[in-house]
Amino acid sequence: MSYVIGIYRRLISVQIRSQMQYRFPFLVDLVATGFITISGFVTLAFVMQRFGSIAGWKLGEVAFLYGMVETSFGLMDMIFSGFDPGNFGRQTRLGRFDQLLLRPVDITLQVLGSEFVIRRLGRIAQGVVILILALTMIHIHWTFVKVLYLPVVLSSLIAFFGGLNIIGATISFWTLESIEIVNIFTYGGTEMMSYPMQIYPHWLRDFFSYVLPAIFLNYYPSLYFLGKPDPLHFPTIAPFLAPVAGFGVLGIALAFWKFGIRHYQSTGT
Amino acid sequence: MSPIIQVSDLRKHFKLARHYRGFLGSLRNLFTRQYRLVRAVDGISFNIEPGELVGYIGPNGAGKSTTIKMLAGLLVPTSGDLFINNHIPWRDRKSYVANIGAVFGQRTTLWWDLPVIESLDLLQYIYRVPAERFQRNLDEFRQLLDLDTFIDTPVRSLSLGQRMRADLCAAMMHDPVLLFLDEPTIGLDVVAKERIRQFIMHINHEHGTTILLTTHDLSDVEKLCERVMIIDHGKLLYDGALEILRERFGGKRKLVVDFAQEYETVEVEGAEVVARDGLRVTYEFERGTMTASNLIGRLSTLFRIHDLEVREPDIEATVRRIYEERLLEK
Repeated sequence: MSYVIGIYRRLISVQIRSQMQYRFPFLVDLVATGFITISGFVTLAFVMQRFGSIAGWKLGEVAFLYGMVETSFGLMDMIFSGFDPGNFGRQTRLGRFDQLLLRPVDITLQVLGSEFVIRRLGRIAQGVVILILALTMIHIHWTFVKVLYLPVVLSSLIAFFGGLNIIGATISFWTLESIEIVNIFTYGGTEMMSYPMQIYPHWLRDFFSYVLPAIFLNYYPSLYFLGKPDPLHFPTIAPFLAPVAGFGVLGIALAFWKFGIRHYQSTGT
Repeated sequence: MSPIIQVSDLRKHFKLARHYRGFLGSLRNLFTRQYRLVRAVDGISFNIEPGELVGYIGPNGAGKSTTIKMLAGLLVPTSGDLFINNHIPWRDRKSYVANIGAVFGQRTTLWWDLPVIESLDLLQYIYRVPAERFQRNLDEFRQLLDLDTFIDTPVRSLSLGQRMRADLCAAMMHDPVLLFLDEPTIGLDVVAKERIRQFIMHINHEHGTTILLTTHDLSDVEKLCERVMIIDHGKLLYDGALEILRERFGGKRKLVVDFAQEYETVEVEGAEVVARDGLRVTYEFERGTMTASNLIGRLSTLFRIHDLEVREPDIEATVRRIYEERLLEK
């Protein structure tokens, strides 16, 4: 186990040191990715100021949703950047994956350690700022359970997005062109999850409940934290399904990933 | 001792998908596929004994890389058996690769932005090489490969030749019993090639490392390998000594003669004049029907000879003939 942690720590440290060598692009990117996040939110704030609320959600409440998604997506994008579908697919075609297979270390660990994009800190920081902003605008009645549950929800979100990335990386074993379709789910999903789910049409909400269980990762936990009633009448356990949904998706993704590696090793494409 | 590499009836067949272009095409690719079957490796068998240095040659697309990838545990065979260093490579990947080394032509195993020495340090950790052995190997290899001038340089700034030397060093740091080299001299100048050949020779002799190398450059094979395997269209065409290959398929040999005086006609039975330039005449003769000494004997009874030289056809031409004329196909 200490060998595994040692490998991971060393691989990540290589990535961080490499990125520090390119200081200017690093800083530009840090600021730019953060700016995209904050400007998205500022736009939303202006729109909401005009209409007052979205489906009964006040600006502060939407900001809470938004901040949760942005923070966890940013963290995921940093931790799971080795599985970024487009980049992973290109690297694999350049023979990089073969090089990893030649080393006597678990392959998943190596891919995880093959990238660690620290400039995502820009996005994470903006996410945290929005989250803090939300907490100043609304009053959450904090209980012991809520304090404990918040980091659980955040890590479930990271696991969920990470799972989507792994699924995308796995699909790139078969096709590189279709990766854009995966990105629709990842980026589209993130975007959708930043708003109260009740605003969406029935079929779309069903998709994000029963196919890709995003609704249990952000919307339901947020209802719980904000103390809002459930307009969709799910069972009362719904807000607490975040870890099941998040780590369930990650587990399925890892199983698919293992399957993809076997496919890769039998086709070499 | 039993063979370190045992390959029997190894096959690798690929289904190659037809690709449609564009966005709609990519949707179509996702759901419908039409395939073409490619028999990249089509039933090859061979054994390699510990300590051998074997050249594996063949034209582009012959199946060389696919074979090496299966041997290195990267690809799972379609059928056939592989038993290498007491492992089935693809099945026990992690424990198998811990004791092999591999350098794949133009791809580096090193970390792009790290100085060479730090990549080596990282590999020491990954392969759990004891510090003392690591130091011993490092001292030996940095001298043999002349790494000192660039050992603190990031890999991205190295020339191709330097990078190849660094990669060879990296592949040997954990004392693998088996080394796979896929095009180790591709794109290098003569001096760099020579240094790499010296190194390959050294580790084969001094460390007893079994080496299988693929190459385009037949002078690699000529200088390094006693045994050569030729693959084409996924089948092994030849497996044996380089010398025998030359004897069987070498084609016509040449005899270049410098006469001591002018002759009007220089024809001789059993050989053909292919070039004549002043006193110098070049004959060609068939390997099976005429020996060099016999021909020289005949010439010296007819003419006064100043000097002469027998020229063997080069191995490159020999192998090209084998491919082109399909000499080895049954």
